[in-house]
Amino acid sequence: MSTTAAPVFSVQGLWKVFGPKADRVPEDPELTGLEPAELRTRTGCTAAVRDVSFDVRKGEVFVVMGLSGSGKSTLVRCLTRLIEPTAGTIAIDGEDVRAMDRARLRELRRHRAAMVFQHFGLLPHRTVLDNVAYGLEIQGVRKTERRERAASVVAKVGLEGMEKRRPSQLSGGQRQRVGLARALAVDPEVLLFDEPFSALDPLIRRDMQDEVVRLHREEGRTMVFITHDLSEALKLGDRIALMRDGRVVQLGTPEEIVGSPADDYVREFVRDVPREQVMTVRTAMKPGGCGAADHPDALTPDAVVADAIRTVARNGRPACVVENGRCLGVVDHERLLGVVAGTEQLREAA
Amino acid sequence: MATVTAAAPRVALPGFLHNRAARKLVLLAVAAAVLVPLAEARWAGGSWPHALTVDLSKPLADASDWVIDNRDSHPLFLYFFGYISNAVVLFVRVVYLGLLAAGWAGVTALGALVAWRVAGVRLALGTAAAFLACGVLGMWVPTMQTLALMVVAVLASAVVGVLLGLAAGLSDRLDRALRPVLDTMQVLPAFAYLLPVVLVFGIGVPAAVLATVVYAAPPMARLTALGLRGADPEVLEAVESLGATARQRLLTARIPLARKELLLGLNQTIMMALSMAVIASVIGAGGLGDRVYQALASVDVGAALAAGIPIVLLAVVLDRVTAAAGAGEDRSAPVQWAYAGAATVVVALASRLLGRLDWPASWTLNIAEPVNRAVDWMTAHLYSGVPYIGGTADWAGHFTTWILDPVRDGLQWLPWWSVLLLVATLAWLIGTWRTALTAVLAMAAIGVLGVWEPSLDTLSQVLAAVAVTLVLGFATGIAAARSDRFERVLRPVLDVFQTMPQFVYLIPVVALFGVGRAPAVAAAVVYALPAVVRITAQGLRQVDPAALESARSLGATGRQQLWQVQLPLARRSLLLAVNQGVVLVLAVVIIGGLVGGGALGYDVAFGLAQGDLATGLVAGAAIVGLGLVLDRVTQPTERRTTEGA
Repeated sequence: MSTTAAPVFSVQGLWKVFGPKADRVPEDPELTGLEPAELRTRTGCTAAVRDVSFDVRKGEVFVVMGLSGSGKSTLVRCLTRLIEPTAGTIAIDGEDVRAMDRARLRELRRHRAAMVFQHFGLLPHRTVLDNVAYGLEIQGVRKTERRERAASVVAKVGLEGMEKRRPSQLSGGQRQRVGLARALAVDPEVLLFDEPFSALDPLIRRDMQDEVVRLHREEGRTMVFITHDLSEALKLGDRIALMRDGRVVQLGTPEEIVGSPADDYVREFVRDVPREQVMTVRTAMKPGGCGAADHPDALTPDAVVADAIRTVARNGRPACVVENGRCLGVVDHERLLGVVAGTEQLREAA
Repeated sequence: MATVTAAAPRVALPGFLHNRAARKLVLLAVAAAVLVPLAEARWAGGSWPHALTVDLSKPLADASDWVIDNRDSHPLFLYFFGYISNAVVLFVRVVYLGLLAAGWAGVTALGALVAWRVAGVRLALGTAAAFLACGVLGMWVPTMQTLALMVVAVLASAVVGVLLGLAAGLSDRLDRALRPVLDTMQVLPAFAYLLPVVLVFGIGVPAAVLATVVYAAPPMARLTALGLRGADPEVLEAVESLGATARQRLLTARIPLARKELLLGLNQTIMMALSMAVIASVIGAGGLGDRVYQALASVDVGAALAAGIPIVLLAVVLDRVTAAAGAGEDRSAPVQWAYAGAATVVVALASRLLGRLDWPASWTLNIAEPVNRAVDWMTAHLYSGVPYIGGTADWAGHFTTWILDPVRDGLQWLPWWSVLLLVATLAWLIGTWRTALTAVLAMAAIGVLGVWEPSLDTLSQVLAAVAVTLVLGFATGIAAARSDRFERVLRPVLDVFQTMPQFVYLIPVVALFGVGRAPAVAAAVVYALPAVVRITAQGLRQVDPAALESARSLGATGRQQLWQVQLPLARRSLLLAVNQGVVLVLAVVIIGGLVGGGALGYDVAFGLAQGDLATGLVAGAAIVGLGLVLDRVTQPTERRTTEGA
């Protein structure tokens, strides 16, 4: 993952306000500062997305996470203008999305960004194969070709042999695989997921998350993933934007979110996260080389603390953290326990 | 009943004006106290004051004369209505000749194969049997006439309905404009549509087809719009997210998603078209309806039954086949359709080569004679003088003298303003001020048209029939809701009764009760009963099981559960049952004018028979008014239930 490449999506100062004369809200500094309830009583408007800015980098999984009503689903729909934003700029590969005319916008939706929906949004009167091929049909791809391409995507998401079934004959997990395949079939630059697994049973949800991880590893496609499930966000996200009442309250890697919460809301949110599964030894270690020539049982800086605990406990002595043959620092019992107990980040803050 | 037990404690509250109903009553009382003395001082008396009527018969007669004089010369008729009329005649003719050319074997084969493709083997056999029965009863040619008219009318209705439905489904503004019109058309009796069409097209096949189209298109339009609007928003969003154009969205998502509603709309349109195609015999439709009409006019029950049975068979077959098409997944295999088509052609050609196109005369069974003998026997033995229980004619007579006459005389004795006040009170208590205003204006319009007395006569029949219907319907509905076994027995009976065209109900009541107002009321009761029973039973069964369970856990008896939980919670369904009952009863009471029901229905029939369109049109307008009054008075509104809950 290269962090220097131009962002796929670049969002600046995005607003979405529902209600009468919504346009005036983002422009009026007096209104923009109001709490949601106050804004509603004053203007009758609801601000679903308030002054949101972020970049989605090429090849990353960008997770937007928040509770219901935090505006995350509205936000993702604004990206392809399924919901028309009220103010702000959105650019895809540097091209202004809000300035696009209808034809250009259709082009964007057809080829560059495809979406996976919470309740799948499948066409009940079509077979699995025809559902997957639907995006290609919209584009005007010939029948034989689109069926061929759809069949290969169906195989990729593990639905071989079910091509002739109707959505009503599938389980929830299988339906979402169809939804995923439909989005993949058009070979988009970005995949947008709107809480795709919330409607699924926990075990199937885990399968599907693994599926997304696998697809991302194999294809390196850029993904924007909306979820209300913190563990899902931590599992999938390269970076996470945490939303509350339409604003992004913190944007960072899972480790940053868990390790140094921006405010009490985020702290409360991540309180029950098993920190040793998220934090890496890079933050846990005592910086500075160990001075020794070789480093038996060394750890990589990206290893999570849980792995380090296993190593340290087995050897009964501190472990070195080595990157490219150079020793970056040392982790010992005390350091690791500090991470697990959560006292680590308090000391940093102090 | 249920409403009273629920409402009583609220009225007893100290803040009595906080109660909506009480507030409305007080307002109305104030308005009445001001207006009634004024009205009474100027136009005293029971009936609608003559000074307030407008005599439309002269201008209407002039208009009708003008139309008759100019039908062959005026450009409006030559270049617009003339073309429509000719096109209709041509289409009906083509279909009719096509059906005759296919021969009875070909038509039967076609019907059975279509039924087999969409609904399976059992219905295919049923369809074949129904067609053969039509032939056996000696009704093959009239059946084909009715069928030809139906085919053209249904196609036209479906096209018109789908176009209107698309417009209303895609545009909010058109939906708001169309919905009240379609809703109102749905509650008007079929008879009200006949005269305006006759005015323009004269009596004949074009008028019959167009009246049928006007009557049968609204359900298609309503259900199309409903289906388009009911599509899962996430599916539409997904389609949009893939970059579909508006046209692609409509053709690949919205219309296929509305398939069920579209087919249900087609089913309803076909059923309404059949109903109207039969009634339209009064304006020259020919076919089965005409046979029934002629037979009823001469009280020849046997002949009426011979034509009535094919109507019922057609209705049941058409309903089952189209309903099955709507319920099943779409299993379109073009190859099998091709086989079916080829088989039909083969059968038709074979019968042609064998010279067996027409139904063989020796295969018919004359049921008219034995039926008439049975009816004669009934007339002789059951009409009157049966010890202790009297006879059917006695019952009809007693019903007329003890119930219909007093109700009619009572209504006509009531001062005209009190009738308006009564309408306003009822409509406002059950609905909103809007529905009340519509109802009062419609009632006043009846008075202005100068048909106050016959309208109250019709109203008295409707009230009597509704009362009987509701007593029987609620009792049966409650029984059906409480006993699964009873419901299982009842369901197929209701299914058949609900598919039969209104006209058919006149045959058995004439056989039983002769002619007059009582048989018209009886037919109306029989016609409206299935809907009332069904809605009542459904409403009671849909009562929240948790509420019922909690009542049971508190030790409520079956009776207490029914009165204190089920009936109050099913209030909305019960009101709907009343509304449906009233609308259906009115439709048949009007048709009852053909069997001696008198009043408005008779005026329409008389106007048609005598070519006196002015009388007929005024009566038709009064029917529309009465339909509006009765519907609005019994129309519960959404808002009220949410507040009551």
